[in-house]
Amino acid sequence: MTEDRLRVLSVVVEDGPGTLSKVSGLIRRRGFHVRAISVGPSREAGQVRMTLTVDAGHAEVDQVRKQLERLVEVVEVEDLTGHDVHSRELVVATVAAADLSDLIERGAKVLHSGKKGTTVEFAGDGTEVGEFVDELRRHGVQDVVRSGPVVMRRSA
Amino acid sequence: MTGADMILEALEREGVEFIFGYPGGANLPIYQHMPGHPTLKHILVRHEQGAAHMADGYARACGKPGVVFATSGPGALNLVTGLATAYMDSVPMIAITGQVASTMVGRDAFQETDVIGATSSVTKHSYLVTSINQLPRVIHEAFHIATTGRPGPVLIDICKDVQQADAPHVLPERLEIPGYKLNGHVDLDQAKAAAVALAGAERPVVLAGHGVLLSHAEGELRELAEKAAVPVGTTLLGIGAFPVNHPLSLHMTGFMGTGWNLKAVQNADVLMMVGMRVDDRVTARLADFAPKVKTFIHVDIDGSEMGKNVRPHIELVADAKKAISAMIPHLPEPEKSRGTWLAQIDAWREEHPLRYTHSNGQLQPQDVLIDMYKRCRNEAIVVADVGQNQIWAALWWNYDRPGLFLNSGGSGTMGFALPAAIGAKFARPELAVWCVAGEGGFVMTAQELSVAVEHQLDVKIVILNNFSLGMVRQFQDDFYGGVRSESDLKHMPDFVKLADAYGLPGIRVDKFEEIGPAMDAAERTKGPFLIDFRIDPEANVYPIVPLGKSLNDFWEAPEV
Repeated sequence: MTEDRLRVLSVVVEDGPGTLSKVSGLIRRRGFHVRAISVGPSREAGQVRMTLTVDAGHAEVDQVRKQLERLVEVVEVEDLTGHDVHSRELVVATVAAADLSDLIERGAKVLHSGKKGTTVEFAGDGTEVGEFVDELRRHGVQDVVRSGPVVMRRSA
Repeated sequence: MTGADMILEALEREGVEFIFGYPGGANLPIYQHMPGHPTLKHILVRHEQGAAHMADGYARACGKPGVVFATSGPGALNLVTGLATAYMDSVPMIAITGQVASTMVGRDAFQETDVIGATSSVTKHSYLVTSINQLPRVIHEAFHIATTGRPGPVLIDICKDVQQADAPHVLPERLEIPGYKLNGHVDLDQAKAAAVALAGAERPVVLAGHGVLLSHAEGELRELAEKAAVPVGTTLLGIGAFPVNHPLSLHMTGFMGTGWNLKAVQNADVLMMVGMRVDDRVTARLADFAPKVKTFIHVDIDGSEMGKNVRPHIELVADAKKAISAMIPHLPEPEKSRGTWLAQIDAWREEHPLRYTHSNGQLQPQDVLIDMYKRCRNEAIVVADVGQNQIWAALWWNYDRPGLFLNSGGSGTMGFALPAAIGAKFARPELAVWCVAGEGGFVMTAQELSVAVEHQLDVKIVILNNFSLGMVRQFQDDFYGGVRSESDLKHMPDFVKLADAYGLPGIRVDKFEEIGPAMDAAERTKGPFLIDFRIDPEANVYPIVPLGKSLNDFWEAPEV
């Protein structure tokens, strides 16, 4: 996989029990691969926004958008690849170390502190979250979960 | 009103005449209420795959969506091949399947299958209906989606309790499908650019696909070709989009296309591709496809086809008829050297004619087709199966308009011909319908002979029997080291006795001289008729491009 095969897409879909499987089925059968996904409500009732990072595989890269647009459940696809965007990911982790000052300095927020460790959360762009996760390792990370990015065009 | 009645009423409202179907546990409520809807004629098939191909043949022959009923589980799964066939060739179809009760879904109930999951890759859209209130809207939407834009099959999976529920019948309001956008308008700048590029080219070629037939653009295509003096070839599925006898015709393109077509494509400087997917059977080795082209023009209603295989310089995402109509007024006078190009093509036509062996004393399939064509001209529908029979029927016939040659082009589904021919006969009872199949494909759906006999359909069945899977055998001989592995059909039924068992007349033909009398008998007979033509088992399809090679490398039939 190379970076230029990746497409970042903001996809508005109809909220229905079959939608996710229709989207993921299409991605599989066209030879694409989902690298990251995040799903949440959109501003419209009955519609959901998916933020997808998709590897186009051996296909022409614009096929990812075009094939998604063919699905009746897909209301709108915006290709955000290469655009000026806010891209944010969330990481939640439990670490053993007591001294968390350098994590706090990076912007981490403590969610819970207990005998067996401290749970923190941190949000940032992909690079920042990556660096934060590297930093966690030095603090004896016990558990870590990380979201896919949510991406939005920067307003003027 | 019951859900079952709502379904049937909706079909009546959509103008459905025939339903090809098979009852079973999960769709029995619909069948219970069918007698109350006598305008819907139900054709009871012998296997659900037959139903899907009949609906497909019906739709291809008359343009209206074909309608299929099947029960849950195995019934619905038996439709999958037929749905895939229709999906690959953009044929409008509505499949209504029964599903287990909504409260039972997901519990592995008797005859439960995730039909939406099993069919979503071979349908344009699908619905699972779990509440009676969804019914009128869903059916109306399904017909709209199946028949508009790039057509295709739409499946509606309806839980049994929904069919039995009772609710006031609320007619659907206007359609609102936010995710379904039709490409309506033609980009005029692109249309002008296409017109100028095409007419101004030194060596232009137009290739026409199934989209031209689907949008009824054959008249516009002919006007464009004549005005711009551009030769036109068709894909296998585009046969009928341009008359084969026309002086500008290049006949069929692709890896089994005519020599003069492939020469023209490979030497063209501007290539316009209309209503086609530009798939691997058209391009052969993609890197060497139309290597001299400076400007590719692609017209297709489906934007995802742009650049999927060949990146166009000018794209028109629109209905073929509208796009070509928009081009015509902007066509300049053809480029001065056009006469030279057309003369070159004529020379290639002379140099690379279609030919076949007819000197070894054996019955040749081309002889059969040539005799058929002399009788039928363009007053009959030919439905071909898949394999050598399909290509022979495509090449050895001068189709002059749409709807006369039906075949499974994209999916290549063996067993398509007989049920599709039956469906076509229901759609166009005034036309003779000929089913052309190899013996291998024929036995895959032969049980549908019962339907032809039951309804005394005038379907003439031509089996080109070469005692083998001919195309497989030819590929093995030429491209797989000459190893004839499992391509001999050592034991097959006696087709004349098989016809007799099903209740239709049949005869066997071994010699050239017997072709005419056998055809006479078929034409004289009312109702179905079967002819088992024992053809030369070594007969091959030519021209052919060796697998993995470029269109330049086509092989021709040995000199006679």
